[in-house]
Amino acid sequence: MRGNPYIPYPALLKRSYFESDDFSLKTFEFELLDGNRIDYIPGQFCEISVFGKGEAPFGIASSPTEGHILKFTVNKAGLVTTALHEAEEGSILGIRGPLGNGYPVEKFRGKNVLIVGGGFAFTTLRSLLVYLLNSRSDYEEITVIYGARTPGLLLYREELFEWEKRDDLKVILTVDREFPGWEKQVGFVPQVLERTAPSSKDCYAVVCGPPIMIKFTLPVLEKLGFKPEMVYTSLEKRMKCGIGKCGRCNIGPKYICKDGPVFSLAQLAELPEDY
Amino acid sequence: MKKIEKEKLLKHLEGKGDLVRLDEARQDPLSATKSSHLPREELLLLFRLNGDKGVEIRVPEGKGGKILFGVPPCEARAVDLLDLTFLKDRIDPYYERKRRENVLFVLACNKPRSTCFCTSFGYGPFSGKYGDVFMVDIGDNLLVDPVTEKGSKALEGLELEEATPSDLEKMESLKRSAEGAITTVNIEGISEKLKKMFLDEIWADLAFKCVNCGACTYVCPTCYCFDIQDVERTNWGYRERVWDSCMFPIYSLETSGHNPRPTGVERMRNRIMHKFSYYPELYGEYGCVGCGRCIRACPVNFDIREALETLKEVEVAA
Repeated sequence: MRGNPYIPYPALLKRSYFESDDFSLKTFEFELLDGNRIDYIPGQFCEISVFGKGEAPFGIASSPTEGHILKFTVNKAGLVTTALHEAEEGSILGIRGPLGNGYPVEKFRGKNVLIVGGGFAFTTLRSLLVYLLNSRSDYEEITVIYGARTPGLLLYREELFEWEKRDDLKVILTVDREFPGWEKQVGFVPQVLERTAPSSKDCYAVVCGPPIMIKFTLPVLEKLGFKPEMVYTSLEKRMKCGIGKCGRCNIGPKYICKDGPVFSLAQLAELPEDY
Repeated sequence: MKKIEKEKLLKHLEGKGDLVRLDEARQDPLSATKSSHLPREELLLLFRLNGDKGVEIRVPEGKGGKILFGVPPCEARAVDLLDLTFLKDRIDPYYERKRRENVLFVLACNKPRSTCFCTSFGYGPFSGKYGDVFMVDIGDNLLVDPVTEKGSKALEGLELEEATPSDLEKMESLKRSAEGAITTVNIEGISEKLKKMFLDEIWADLAFKCVNCGACTYVCPTCYCFDIQDVERTNWGYRERVWDSCMFPIYSLETSGHNPRPTGVERMRNRIMHKFSYYPELYGEYGCVGCGRCIRACPVNFDIREALETLKEVEVAA
């Protein structure tokens, strides 16, 4: 990141396309201009600027192993995200980052990794999975459990179906209820996790999803024997500066933007429930 | 300490920077000391979209430093506290430049107000370690003492007299009477206690009369929270930061509609926790200087000193 942390890099929107069949989620692929590049790890985020509308934080969905294109999947929800959804390919936007700590990928070496995702929170989990698969032999068993309300709301469907076919990876996809043509798992993520019952031995778990999913997933992980220091999640709060100055994203004395967004359950247990 | 006539010192400072007189102004509604480092609105960048040619970004240049003359010790101490946020980890370049360029002439506080409680924080109205130059008004003259290198430089070329024993005696007597006029709240152990009080019911009582107007945070010399906003124009648009307040619902309202601090209770809790628990935990210093500005500005007469007393009374499980 450059000397003045408030100045975004100009970024060319190379490609954008709908990611979900309800048109609420779009994926954006950016290339930084003027020879700039950012070095990041999975789990970090950037502030995307739509000049004139403002900035908002988004987890990076690409993996640093994929090259210089930065990918984000964004839900159309407010002022900046609506402007982003309307931006044409070829537009110049701004990107500031990388921000935050990211997943502790170094700790995952030589261990089993369980990735549990729900809904459109799979973005940085995609980054993590692609990163792990890039040097597959550095890790032991990798298991992915990912669910959405409907098949059309699963992000990165084509990739998921390819990953499902691999024999060095266990991918379990689920939707909330029966759906015509859907022959994979049916049920909420916590239930599917309980049915699948992955071993907690030497295993790190990374969980991202809507609050309600997290709430019911954590007890299942505990039941499976996952220790709080082996379970990581990524938090969100309203943010502005992204560098721990503007104040609003604090949980107790920690700032999600700077000390997070990734925290272990052991770390969260030390903090007040202010999120 | 040295001494000099005030008029001579002021004349010396003429033309050396934008001189802001706080010594005679009893009105300083938004802390000129804070806003000279963190302005209420501050330009971060200008942008212009040029079709295919992309975006042009300009960073505004500084306007040169200010000489703040007559800063009370409490507000100079508050700037030291702002440093902990803006000059640690990632340096905030806008703040850093002003901090480097501004010169603070601190004036000992001869006439504390009834709302002052600075002595609760281990310093007082005559503490001489803040800002760049420390001054005491002893009537006919100012006693001056440079605190920093920058302060010594600002005094260079002045003919300063040595302060006499009777000048120093005068200072001591002013100091005693000023300190005697200030309420001291015993806050020992409050930060440790607050750590166990997040879920306490007392916050509802404390927040009961608060109308969430945010006046306390606007006048506070240590409050620094800001929002960042874009302004779209046909030619050069701009991005600015503006003071924000943790007492406003929108401060923490998320796009999904979720708000982790939905009512005044959570917001009051965060404001007090930030100053008396989180700041000490992070930096070993309280985020309050006891200036009493929030007490004077409050439309419903919320008194932070009473709140601290109330918090001390609460019994918490060990």
